[in-house]
Amino acid sequence: MNALEITNLNFIYPDGTKALSEISFRMLPGECIALLGPNGSGKSTLMLHLNGLLPEKLSGDTIKVFGDAVITENLPQIRRQVGMVFQDPDDQLFCPTVAEDVAFGPQQLGLSPAEVKQRVTHQLDQVGLAGFENRATHRLSHGEKRRACLAGVLACEPQLLVLDEPTSDLDPRGRRGFKALLRTMPATKIIATHDLEMAVELCSRAIILNRGRMVADGPTRELLADEALMWENGLETPQVLLRPGG
Amino acid sequence: MGGHHAHPTDRPAEARGPLGGLPTELKFATALLLLLALVLMPPARWDGLLVIGTIIAVLLILSRVTFRQLAKRLLLLEPLVLGVAGLTWFEPDGHRIFLLLMFKANLCLLTTFLLAQTTSFSELIALLKRLHAPWLVVTIFTLMHRYLFVLADEAERMQRARASRTFAAGCHRQWLSLSSVIGQLFLRASDRAERIYNAMCARGWK
Repeated sequence: MNALEITNLNFIYPDGTKALSEISFRMLPGECIALLGPNGSGKSTLMLHLNGLLPEKLSGDTIKVFGDAVITENLPQIRRQVGMVFQDPDDQLFCPTVAEDVAFGPQQLGLSPAEVKQRVTHQLDQVGLAGFENRATHRLSHGEKRRACLAGVLACEPQLLVLDEPTSDLDPRGRRGFKALLRTMPATKIIATHDLEMAVELCSRAIILNRGRMVADGPTRELLADEALMWENGLETPQVLLRPGG
Repeated sequence: MGGHHAHPTDRPAEARGPLGGLPTELKFATALLLLLALVLMPPARWDGLLVIGTIIAVLLILSRVTFRQLAKRLLLLEPLVLGVAGLTWFEPDGHRIFLLLMFKANLCLLTTFLLAQTTSFSELIALLKRLHAPWLVVTIFTLMHRYLFVLADEAERMQRARASRTFAAGCHRQWLSLSSVIGQLFLRASDRAERIYNAMCARGWK
């Protein structure tokens, strides 16, 4: 079974902006895909679709997550399977303390208080935030906020992890740490990013979007080494692929 | 750090004065009783009001609130009190009612200020949950508290950006640009509210 299956997805915002045109691709369980493209190319809109977060009626076979169609009736099930890490951590950390925020998802799943506590402790430990339980979310550094967001999503044990610009605004050490953390996550992952070096390091496959259309789908190293393709789509071949033997 | 603004009650118990360490239930019940007594006190009972006023004054002294802190908050809210009480001035026997309203309203303000000064917001939220307050009310209060910092930071950044490009000293132009900052802040807050709602739905919010 495919982890994700998108067939001919089109989307127009209420103001008439055409955001996505004829998007189709499949993804296998365990795969890690980088979603690349310039600003406004439709990456975030595509990601919101994976969790059914856009108010739109989709036909049953447009998007399927582990065989389940993304339609209104299936949304609770879909949101259990798809964990979404948003671009701005302040949008995602809406509870006063780190523990309460990580507990939010498991509580919505109806787990017992003991199970919720166990998941909170385990996930905070996994993302390197053990001991941060009672820290106020607005007092965390940007890197810590990112980790707390990831813990909150992982606490729901999703099968498909969707990350929107996970390393933006992080300093080099924070970026390094976050990449190492993502590498340890066994879930199927889609990462929308401008951090092309991260795409090379973590994702075996890349999809390039431009003006809402899929312009390329293939092995990350191959696509990113194609300087003409990169240039045409507002991207640049990362240094790591320009170096001899990179 | 993400948030540079600190809520006045966002401090550890030991930093909230000698009354800060008392149980939240006790502080909340005392404040509620004082407010009820103030509201229900008949107009002629000045002696009763004086007793309540004395209790509040003693509590304020015990809490070690500085005069500066007190004056700042009272001054901020005084126009509202004056606006309401001022309407009674023109009624028959209005002077007496005006004085009574001013006295009662200010004592109410001091009571809530005392509660806010000695109790952290998270303690109050936890108490509301223990008292089984409606979950929607608790959620709204929690989100409001969480995002006040974010909005305050955003307002400060916009204000700074505005100041860095404000060259003319004209008062009229400054007011115009300030009003556009407020408008922008409102739009950004509404956009953020939508994103937060999406983030909540993504983690199973029903």
